[in-house]
Amino acid sequence: MTSQLQLYKAVEMFNGLTNEQIEALIAISQQEVYQEDQIIFSQDDEGDKMYIIRIGQVEISVQKNIHSPAETKIFLGQGQIFGEIALIDYGKRSATVRAMTEETVVDAIHRDSFNELCQSSTAIGFVVMRNLAIDLSYKLRHQNLRNADR
Amino acid sequence: MVYKVSYVVLGGAHPGAIINQFDQPKVGEHIKIGKNTFEIVEVNELMPARGDFAFLHATVKQVEGKSKKK
Repeated sequence: MTSQLQLYKAVEMFNGLTNEQIEALIAISQQEVYQEDQIIFSQDDEGDKMYIIRIGQVEISVQKNIHSPAETKIFLGQGQIFGEIALIDYGKRSATVRAMTEETVVDAIHRDSFNELCQSSTAIGFVVMRNLAIDLSYKLRHQNLRNADR
Repeated sequence: MVYKVSYVVLGGAHPGAIINQFDQPKVGEHIKIGKNTFEIVEVNELMPARGDFAFLHATVKQVEGKSKKK
């Protein structure tokens, strides 16, 4: 088993996929490395990729309007995904993402490659989309708990 | 088992974090979130486990000094 396959098996987005199906996703992903404080993408950018964090943490921040400062919404660490909203709804980036660790390693999956794979294998498409929905649900629960603690 | 942990900071001023880890978080351990270090004060199940994934919620408080872990 490759180390990348082992790592992907620990990513919830791929939970329920066979090794062969995960390999197909690995084949369309591209590794990107960012330095601490480097912006991965900015709010309102066009978005055509989602990312999986392999090493390090990222900060997700949102600026409500041009007159207000950016507010940090959450930090995401290993195994988490981000950028998936623009991948699903084709909208602009809803937040700015910044690398928070000295060497932040992410795997990027391009929307076109992802859609092609999901269309060629509906089994992969179903599992990944279900897992994306669960991930979004989990993030909402985190936000609710945080709001309840305020 | 992979533990997907929602770290919520007491007081709500810090946004917290979501991190996948292979070790179950335990009360008293330290974790680095962003550029700050926090101590875990409580751990609960957030959603039922599914497959190899457990979904946990950990409440943490900020500490001073070096972290014991991560």
